[in-house]
Amino acid sequence: MTSSLPGFLFAIPFFAAVVIPVVGFTNQKFCRPIALGALVSLSIVSVIGLSEVVSHGPLSHEFGGWAPPIGIEWVVDGLSGLLMVAISIVSLITLVHAGPLVEKELPGRVIPFYSLSLLLVAALGGMVLTGDLFNLFVFLEIGSLASYVLVGVAGGRSLHSAFRYLILGTIGASLYLLGVGYFYAETGTLNMADLAQRLPEVIDSRAVLTGLLFIVLGLAIKMGLFPLHGWLPDAYTYAPNSCTPLLTSVVTKVPLYAFVRIAFWVFGMTTVSTQIPILVVLGWVGAVAAIVGAYLAIWQESFKRMLAYSSVSSMGLFMLGFSLGTETGFAGGLFYVLADTLMKATLFGVAGAAFYQCGASTVTDLVRLRENMPWVSSALLISALSMVGIPPTAGFFGKWHLVVGALEAEKYFAVAAILVSSMLTALYFFRMFQRVWAETLPLVDPHVLETPFPIKMSLGVLTFGLIALGLGSDLVMGLIFESAIPKGF
Amino acid sequence: MADIVLYRPHFVAFIILFLLGIYIMVVSLNLIKKLIGMYLMQTSIILFFITLAVKKDSTIPIILSSTTAVTPEAYANPLPHVLMLTAIVVGVSTLGVSLAMVIALYRQYNTLEEDQILGKMQ
Amino acid sequence: MIRPHDSVIVHTLARVFIPIIQLFALYVLIHGHDSPGGGFQAGTLFAASFILPVIAFGIQGSLTVLERRAVILGGIGILLFAGIGLVPLLLGEEFLNYGELPIPGMEASAKRHLGILGIEIGVTIAVAATAVSIYYSLRERGEGEGN
Repeated sequence: MTSSLPGFLFAIPFFAAVVIPVVGFTNQKFCRPIALGALVSLSIVSVIGLSEVVSHGPLSHEFGGWAPPIGIEWVVDGLSGLLMVAISIVSLITLVHAGPLVEKELPGRVIPFYSLSLLLVAALGGMVLTGDLFNLFVFLEIGSLASYVLVGVAGGRSLHSAFRYLILGTIGASLYLLGVGYFYAETGTLNMADLAQRLPEVIDSRAVLTGLLFIVLGLAIKMGLFPLHGWLPDAYTYAPNSCTPLLTSVVTKVPLYAFVRIAFWVFGMTTVSTQIPILVVLGWVGAVAAIVGAYLAIWQESFKRMLAYSSVSSMGLFMLGFSLGTETGFAGGLFYVLADTLMKATLFGVAGAAFYQCGASTVTDLVRLRENMPWVSSALLISALSMVGIPPTAGFFGKWHLVVGALEAEKYFAVAAILVSSMLTALYFFRMFQRVWAETLPLVDPHVLETPFPIKMSLGVLTFGLIALGLGSDLVMGLIFESAIPKGF
Repeated sequence: MADIVLYRPHFVAFIILFLLGIYIMVVSLNLIKKLIGMYLMQTSIILFFITLAVKKDSTIPIILSSTTAVTPEAYANPLPHVLMLTAIVVGVSTLGVSLAMVIALYRQYNTLEEDQILGKMQ
Repeated sequence: MIRPHDSVIVHTLARVFIPIIQLFALYVLIHGHDSPGGGFQAGTLFAASFILPVIAFGIQGSLTVLERRAVILGGIGILLFAGIGLVPLLLGEEFLNYGELPIPGMEASAKRHLGILGIEIGVTIAVAATAVSIYYSLRERGEGEGN
């Protein structure tokens, strides 16, 4: 049914992103309240949207009054509503967390930080909600430009990683645009629903196959799927700590959503597993990514670089879950995506807190967490346990449903990949536990700062969210099964 | 093979430009040359889209009189043109951001060659 | 500090061309509805007409306060565009539906024409201000330009 709610989901962060520079030039203190206020209202509106979708069915909004397939249509259905809620709430928490860090790391650049973060949230929301392929490209590029600048805004070592991220990200987006061009040339439409209706007639043409391959390649570069993840370790390691929680938790998940939307809703489950069997290929790629990412993380000394390779491994697990071909596997993959947003935000938030308070950056430095940082260390403990997959945290339930889905699909290589990557994850996280809690404490440094209240609150909320998501996993899985599964299983 | 070159030369042109852009990006060590390659690759994709809009004996898609009947075959397809306007703006913004980054890199490391920058970073 | 150009041809032609470029930019903006053109193209032409005098005649000293704040005008341009689009959303219709702007006495197609003209003006202001402020910020020495 048509509703103006999706329009507000775009307008709120976009207006805030544009108003912040205009207002911030008069007084810099206004930036943070405007940004946080916009994200709070965005979270409320997206939760309202999700509850409306669950009770009444999908909401659609036609931009400019032009009906699809001529006009651009935005659709809030189960999958996009759920992701929109996740994006808005996690970005609110990470922006709260970034408050003290921005003053320390980016002294003269407070206005660009808040404005670009809100623009990134607006672009991510646009990508999730849109029902038009070219509109997805536009928002993909807006979000990517904001994230390139956010990675490089601190100057210094991060500039080269940001430049490399820019080059590779632009190649990815251009490949996506090329794929959309091939689809347009074959069917004459860009609207996803209309394309889904017109595709079965032209499914055997080579243009459609090539277009799909280009789109998958482009989105794989954007989401950091092994082996196209080259930009990811440097960008995650050297980006300023105020930006990394937001960048790492949601930015790579939205191209994954775009791939899922195109593969399962536009093409259909049977087409992508039998006629154009990319799901089979991507299943293997995901399995290899999960294992290789976890293996490479073991050898890293820098804490953020270890987490970056852990992200590569997680992305492999997501792709594995979505390519299993069963309902439980798909729902498990989606649940693990939601859990991972919280996990990555917490882990990079801990890295930021450790940096702020005692300048820690390597895994051995984290031993300083034991002095006077109870909130940060407990957040680190819970999120690390969740990454490994220990109940009752959310990560356990995600991996559990993934394994059950893989067993249902009788894809034993997937089961093996999930278990091996979990064991390797346990290896590097327990190595970190040993360094943090079992080694002898060095001399107490009087320069260690107190944990600021915003960081305490955000880490506390994220940790609570991880446990709550784990304990309430039945509810969330029920919601996913009811409204977020594509047809054709 | 010959009929592709004879009847669809625009696809051949697009392929050559696209591969040339990627080759420049991969091979050059100078950052500005990499950006030139990136922009050339984006421009080749824009060329590809525009050539999808051409029809035989068609004119620009502006309706001049509101009384005569409109036949869609007489006008070129305006949708790819509009899409590519957006893509050009996106490409220009990307180029602007990347050039600003290159200037910041130059101010920091005093060179624009990637191998020298990597050497100075160690 | 940028030195003025040596050649007298550049000086004379710049004097002649700057108002012509601005007039042409206005023409491109307003006729974007019926011929190639529109907001983005007019904005870059306007920006060119601001950068050309700097290249031709040079400039001394550091940035004035107005030049430092030029990027705010870009924000105002975008706010104009998004604001015109937001009015129908607040009234209950769709975002960017110019046919539902609350202007009395006009039919829907005329209101769409007016709405598009309004947003193109917003885009022109935004693009011109942004391009010019990029150029001004490149002149600023000493401050890092990571963004």
